[in-house]
Amino acid sequence: MTGLVPAPVRGLVTKLRASLPGFGLAFALMSTAAQADTLHRFALIAGNDTGGDDTRPLSYARDDARKMHDLLTRLGGVAPSDAKLLLDDDAKDFLTALSDLEQRARAAQTRGERTALFVYYSGHAKDGALRLGDSRLAFDALKRRLADAPVDIRIAILDSCRSGALTRTKGARKAPAFDVESGAARDARGVVILTSSAADEDSQESDALGGSYFSHHLASGLLGDADRSGDGRVTLFEAYSHAYARTVADTADSSAGPQHPTFSYDLAGNGDLVLTDLRASAEGLVVPGGAPAGSYYFVDPGGLVVAELDKTADTERRVALAPGTYRVKRRMSDRLRIGEVEIARGRTTVLEEPRLKDAPFSDDPVKGAARGRDTWWAFGLTGGYQSFFDAATRQSLFLSVPLFGAEAELHDYFRRDWVWGFDAAMGGTRGVLALPTLAGPTYRYSVVNLGTSLTTEWPLGRVAPFVGARLAYLILGRQFEDAAFPDQRFAMVSPGLVAGARLQLSRSVHLTTRGRLQYLQYNVDAQRSLGYWELAALLTYAP
Amino acid sequence: MREHAMRNLAPALLCLLAVACGGDFSNDDLEFQNALPQRQDLAAKLPDAASRSGQGLRSQQVGLQVLGGTSELALQAYAAGTRFNVSVDALLSLLELFRNAPPTTRETDRRIWGPYPDKDHPGHEVRFVMERQGAQFAYLLQYRPTGTREDAWWTYLPGTFKADGGIRKGEGTLALDLKEARGHGFDTGDATSLDRLDIGYQTRALPTRVELLFTGAGATLPLTRYASRQVPEGLGEMAFRLPGQDLVPGGLLETLDILARWTPDGRGVLELNILEGDAKGAKYTECWDSRTRITFLRRNWDFINPTEGDAATCPDVSALVPKP
Repeated sequence: MTGLVPAPVRGLVTKLRASLPGFGLAFALMSTAAQADTLHRFALIAGNDTGGDDTRPLSYARDDARKMHDLLTRLGGVAPSDAKLLLDDDAKDFLTALSDLEQRARAAQTRGERTALFVYYSGHAKDGALRLGDSRLAFDALKRRLADAPVDIRIAILDSCRSGALTRTKGARKAPAFDVESGAARDARGVVILTSSAADEDSQESDALGGSYFSHHLASGLLGDADRSGDGRVTLFEAYSHAYARTVADTADSSAGPQHPTFSYDLAGNGDLVLTDLRASAEGLVVPGGAPAGSYYFVDPGGLVVAELDKTADTERRVALAPGTYRVKRRMSDRLRIGEVEIARGRTTVLEEPRLKDAPFSDDPVKGAARGRDTWWAFGLTGGYQSFFDAATRQSLFLSVPLFGAEAELHDYFRRDWVWGFDAAMGGTRGVLALPTLAGPTYRYSVVNLGTSLTTEWPLGRVAPFVGARLAYLILGRQFEDAAFPDQRFAMVSPGLVAGARLQLSRSVHLTTRGRLQYLQYNVDAQRSLGYWELAALLTYAP
Repeated sequence: MREHAMRNLAPALLCLLAVACGGDFSNDDLEFQNALPQRQDLAAKLPDAASRSGQGLRSQQVGLQVLGGTSELALQAYAAGTRFNVSVDALLSLLELFRNAPPTTRETDRRIWGPYPDKDHPGHEVRFVMERQGAQFAYLLQYRPTGTREDAWWTYLPGTFKADGGIRKGEGTLALDLKEARGHGFDTGDATSLDRLDIGYQTRALPTRVELLFTGAGATLPLTRYASRQVPEGLGEMAFRLPGQDLVPGGLLETLDILARWTPDGRGVLELNILEGDAKGAKYTECWDSRTRITFLRRNWDFINPTEGDAATCPDVSALVPKP
């Protein structure tokens, strides 16, 4: 297998071995071929988009967790009953679920089975602790808990900011990709920790990928792209080396700077560990050896890349895609080659590259901003108050009124943290005319307030202040109780500004307080520029 | 597809909103609309008996009045009141048509309805103009031949109103210039014998007052006058002067001065003075009950039997007597 490793990489590894005593030995111990796996595997997978007041909500942590759960249960040898998926749950739930899995593992050990425990976490981490919503789980406590777990192998994959702190004492390495070598099959025991970033780095998410860089490339690798040995199985080291290289490459030009995954090991035994078996599921896609070399991308109907494949010439590669329809893109220097493949359940589909069609780069099926993927709706009820600034106006023309209505918000549609709102409210009160030559008639004053707004938010943990603009359509009317006077109505488009703050009460419920300043051009009796304000509270639910 | 739809939706919505802007929400409109009297405020309040006993005048001449018989004078007074109401109502109904429509032009202290083509006078157009000066309003119903200049407008109906009494109540005038109308080729129908009808009214507070003055063709002063008053007690009064009545045989026509007063239940008292004619100086007083039957009468020319019936049966209408 060493013959497959490019010479420059081999040279780099040689230098590293020379510069880091011990690393080469341990690395050699672990760089063994994946063995036939007889482990009883358990998995705890957690994703949490929130991390407390001092953190900005994530967009894809839960999605990453779902993807990893699907991968491990479909290809990773974890029975669905042995996998626990926690979404937006707190530290207490996390530890409870861990205890449950530990009990099962202990029972399996009692039966004489070898066991492995996978812990995957995607979410916030800060100040030496995982942030699961408002709760915290200290790195040290987690490490001790993993070390004490009654299993043979413990593998923790942490996709969170500064998660490298967890591996620092164990020799975190901003190292180049591992050289995957073959060797004798040996048992592996102990603790393995993969983190998405170093101790002083942020982990970055990508709208285009619909997830974090690290988890995306780890998942893509586990689907087959990391199977550099071509044996149909993706080992821990293959997956890590793949995720490392691709994450560093993708984040190298980002504004946050390159992100370096870390790896730590404490294996009593030695040997590599198969994470996914690409043949565990009968369905999948085979890219035959005769297909042209290059980068292939497999895009789901939502426009997101679910897997990538860096194919070399004359090698057959397998991508363990789940059943479904995918668009296949092969990037060339001057154009794209695009086609569609259907992965049927229980069947292996062979990609016929000649059936792909040439297409310009503008027809890239990958959505640049992943619009639709990350947008979300919220619906709510509002209560507020409207009043004009001019005293004479609010006393005799447009009265001050309470308003009640409903609103819908489309979040992250135009871009992240932008909210497109649609609102409708009604209000009314009773009034008595007091004009120079006419006083006394009573009437019912009513307001219909329709609007659309575009605001930008600055999420600060659970609170997100926002400012923006709003365009309203205001319908004002009054009905006199005395039939001597006709009903009157006035309608006008009214531009304005809006500002406020949104408070996340729970995962789906938000309380918003806001103020509006609006302009109204009145043109019936005379041309008059009027201004009015509105204060309101809004309770929304995000399904 | 969704982006495409969204891109088209926004401008379409803006266009729709632009079309749907504006309205008639106006305090000034209300003040102008308040400056026209209500029809019911200017109508003479006749007792229910007036309608029960028939509004048609049975005889244009005052016949022999018999105690216990039907009061022909009462019926005449009620009939005159009905004619009074019809005349006022016709004018105000015309103005009400404009009032019920939003003004065509809004200017500072001025509103104009129209011009509209006048279906009743083909080839002409009509407009209604109201102007305000403080609490004083003036209005004009004007006509002109279609397509002529601005200075071709002529006034058929001028009016004034001082709006200081609440909803459509105050003091004002209203006139119908029939002579001007005929001069512009309008057919004035039954009113050919009249040059002008003037109405003055005060509806701000009780006792209210409405007065009609009819100026005959060629006359310089009004010949006929109808007046109506109401007081809080619900009493009604109508005074009218009728020249040219042939009341008694002889060579001269009589001019009658009639003052009729009634209670809400239909009882009444009437005083008739003959100012001119063969029976000049005659004075006649009559009271009737709620069924318009004469209960008391007094004749100043009958020295033998000047009164019949019981004067105590006459209703108390002293509230209508003007306070000194």
